Amino acid sequence: MKKFTALLLTVAMLLTLAVVPAMAESKGTIKLGGLAPLTGNYAEYGKGFQIAWQMAIDEINANGGANGYQLSIDVKDTQGDPVVSSTMATSFAEDDEIMAILGDFSSGACKANAPIVDRYGIVQLSPTASAPDYAGMSPYCFSIMGRQDKEAPFLATYVLKKYLGVSKVAVIRVDSDWGMAAFNNFKAQADIEGLEVIEEKYKSDETDFSSIITKVKATDPEVLVVMDQGLPVSAIFNAADSAGWDIQHLALGPGTSEQLLEQLINPDNLIVTSPFFFNPEDATLTAWKDEFNALAGFQPTVHPACAFDTAYLIKTAIEAIGDGEITREAIRDALQNIDMNGLTGHIQFEEAGDITRDYLICGVVDGNWKVLEGFDYSK
Amino acid sequence: MEYLLNQLVNGICQGSIYALMAIGYSVIVGVVGMVTFTYGEIMMIGAFGAFYSFQFFGNNLALAIVMAFASSFLLGIVVYKVCYERFFNAPRHIALLCTIGFSMLMKNLVQIVFGPEQKPMINIINNATYTLRLGSVAVDFKLLQIVVMLLVILFAVSLTLFFNRTRWGVALRAVSQNKQAAYMMGINVKRTAMLGNCIGCGFGGIAGILLSIYYYTVSSTIWGNFSMKAFSASVLGGLVDLRLSALGGLCMGIIENLGITISSATFRDVFSFAFLIVILVIRPQGFAAKKGSRV
Amino acid sequence: MSKVQAFYHKHRTILLLAVFAALCVLPFVVTKALFVRYACNILLFATLAGSLNAINGYSGQMCLGQAGFFAIGAYVCAIFSTRFGVNFWLLLPISGVFAAMVGLLVALPTLKLQGIYLSIVTLGASEIIRIIAQTWEPVTGGALGIKNIPYPWLFGLDTFRPKYYYFIFLLIGVLFLLVTNRVLKSRVGRAWISIREDQIAAKSLGVQTSFYKSLNFMYGAFWAGVVGCAYAPFVNYIEASQFSTDTGFNVLAMIVIGGQGTLLGPILGSMIVTVLTESLRFLDNWRYVIYAVIIIMMMWLRPQGIAGASHSVLAGGKIKRKPVRREGARSHG
Repeated sequence: MKKFTALLLTVAMLLTLAVVPAMAESKGTIKLGGLAPLTGNYAEYGKGFQIAWQMAIDEINANGGANGYQLSIDVKDTQGDPVVSSTMATSFAEDDEIMAILGDFSSGACKANAPIVDRYGIVQLSPTASAPDYAGMSPYCFSIMGRQDKEAPFLATYVLKKYLGVSKVAVIRVDSDWGMAAFNNFKAQADIEGLEVIEEKYKSDETDFSSIITKVKATDPEVLVVMDQGLPVSAIFNAADSAGWDIQHLALGPGTSEQLLEQLINPDNLIVTSPFFFNPEDATLTAWKDEFNALAGFQPTVHPACAFDTAYLIKTAIEAIGDGEITREAIRDALQNIDMNGLTGHIQFEEAGDITRDYLICGVVDGNWKVLEGFDYSK
Repeated sequence: MEYLLNQLVNGICQGSIYALMAIGYSVIVGVVGMVTFTYGEIMMIGAFGAFYSFQFFGNNLALAIVMAFASSFLLGIVVYKVCYERFFNAPRHIALLCTIGFSMLMKNLVQIVFGPEQKPMINIINNATYTLRLGSVAVDFKLLQIVVMLLVILFAVSLTLFFNRTRWGVALRAVSQNKQAAYMMGINVKRTAMLGNCIGCGFGGIAGILLSIYYYTVSSTIWGNFSMKAFSASVLGGLVDLRLSALGGLCMGIIENLGITISSATFRDVFSFAFLIVILVIRPQGFAAKKGSRV
Repeated sequence: MSKVQAFYHKHRTILLLAVFAALCVLPFVVTKALFVRYACNILLFATLAGSLNAINGYSGQMCLGQAGFFAIGAYVCAIFSTRFGVNFWLLLPISGVFAAMVGLLVALPTLKLQGIYLSIVTLGASEIIRIIAQTWEPVTGGALGIKNIPYPWLFGLDTFRPKYYYFIFLLIGVLFLLVTNRVLKSRVGRAWISIREDQIAAKSLGVQTSFYKSLNFMYGAFWAGVVGCAYAPFVNYIEASQFSTDTGFNVLAMIVIGGQGTLLGPILGSMIVTVLTESLRFLDNWRYVIYAVIIIMMMWLRPQGIAGASHSVLAGGKIKRKPVRREGARSHG
């Protein structure tokens, strides 16, 4: 038995010697934490995040990693609940191996996590938080969606006043953190532009819109704007159509979502604002879109594209650190000064930690999305 | 004025669906003698049954309604066996807690099997609108609303006929009045109670599909609310009287829609609940003439 | 079972002290912060379930709307500490009192009702509270909620870390148990139990049922409010949807599973449900399916819950009416 054990030990040592040189090649793995709503009302977006992050990380690792470091991400389900998100954020923050947090989806959850990431000193880079007061909550808070105090006024000035030339607008919006921010910013700009705004709000799990439609129809507006994401958008427009109401439809929030087109009775009547568009003529974008669709089973919107970019942002930040030590603070500093071209466009953070985007006006022709006015329309 | 009339039409349409719900609920409470918290989920199963009927058999409304009735009817059998049969002579709260558990079970099973997202259901009924002119005012009626109201009247009438003219119906009424006496008359109380439960559930299923058509979506999360509303509407009818419950449902629909008119849609449920609490405080027996201590 | 109970009685004080000591040491022994956070959740819900149990398990009124009282406690704390800088420890009893007053408001219409009517009114009240929280923007922040609720100071320690906040929950939990134990052994408690077992008989014996039923509601609401006050800084951000009927049903599930009518029941229920929730998180919806099945099974096999009061109406129609010896006759409340 003694001889056998000695033999076993020798073999083990030899194997280690063989492996060690191979390990010395790669510098190890940098771990990231991922927060996303994998279940609940926003499950579609959360799954999109998860898939996009994995796509990015696989691609980065296959091409030599970030400055030699391999990346990995541990995605936790926050159920779209800020309290759960905070619990998960705390557990990431207390784990010294996690260097940065990507996510969450909703502004509410990100804002709830802000004091936590601030205390522990770890970056929270959200692909989609758009509340204007989020990024300023901490030097560690970042977002690349663009802010509601740019998109909502864009709707007022460029879409309603300049493009459509209307003056009386009805807005039906969801009563949530996001909905409130979007509407308040919109109203402020609409007042400056001299637009008359009629507002109706509904709770997030509302399903019956016929009474709201009747109410709003009676005020006789020129266009109908819906501010929300997901199924209520199509439900409201369908309710309007079936009430026999012939009016232009506009939406702020869903972007150029393919799912939305399938759910509408009359898709050609829709105009949206979007910071991003999957241009069919751009080969890279189309290839990415097809790959995502193959993995996820549904078409991507701007949200997973932003998630994809967040992973690449971390990679770029790590590379900017160069030979220095990779710490949470170093990543934060590198991120603040970053200048990168991602899938969704040029990304360079403002002082607060968010970015300013330009917006497109997109419409539907024959059931397909088309860009009606490009980025230069608002210049 | 025109606006108010339109809202009234909305209210009547929604109210008629609530009325159907209330009728189904009253049948269950009356015949089985026990309240249920799982009525919303029963409606949900009906809605999903019909949804899949649309998927597989096309836009056949009649078939979908039959499927809705059938799916909820079958679920009613399960509910009866799990939550009611065993607890006929036990304190009331036990069956109640059981139905709460059952509702949790169904809601999550449906989310697992059919997915958590809401599914759109459009183009079932042609989106035509008819305008009725009364002097200078024009009131819009969607074809959808007309169909719904006619269906509800049809079912209410057929249910009344069933209860008054058929043997099963009479047996059900007997059981709802006095189980012991019915037993002594040779009625199989257990089987009859189960039938009553299932019929009530079946109507819930039809209400479920009508609601889904009306809202253009099939979802798995909105139904808890409707349990409450069915109960509220029933309470107005003294819980056991079918016609008064239907009236209660109609009232609720109208009050909700008119309430939204004067305030915001976010307060819809507040109106229902506040209305319920007020009724319970002022006149617990609702529209009914005498007080019956049902529960 | 009776051997365990006998043993427990003999060495009661020492056993309880030992458990308390173990609980004090726990956050320093457990290394993973996430687990300490779970322990906080267990303590938090143990008291909240206990407050619901004080109503459902002792006076027999089936309240389904505990989430509403919880919400009031949380919002009172959040509003007063963020707007007016009131000290957390002062806010604990204040939140409790606010919640108790609302409890009284809810109790009044229900006094003449029973069974399902009462339950629905409590549910409706809970929803109305939630909707008010969601829409009363100037006070509650509406859909935005209230954020950045300050962490309290405990003996000079900043409770930002879960392992210090743990002691706040522990303190409240122990206080709740001591006070409730006292109350239950007093006249008030006996009145409640008599109402639970047979309201008409109680009335005929001179028990003022209306008074005691309202008192009971207020008591349960008071503690729910206190727990709510402790909850707000712990999660740092509160918003109306955290207090939905689902939360209420969750708490109900805890006492159904753990036991109604005893002090141990809700603690056990909180432990079981929290452990199941966290360990089965990866199962998503199946988690709730499992709960639901457990609830239904409980109703079939043991309606009073695992550690529930077996000698009461809560145990269902299977009460054995054999003469009981003095020792085991008292339901251990």
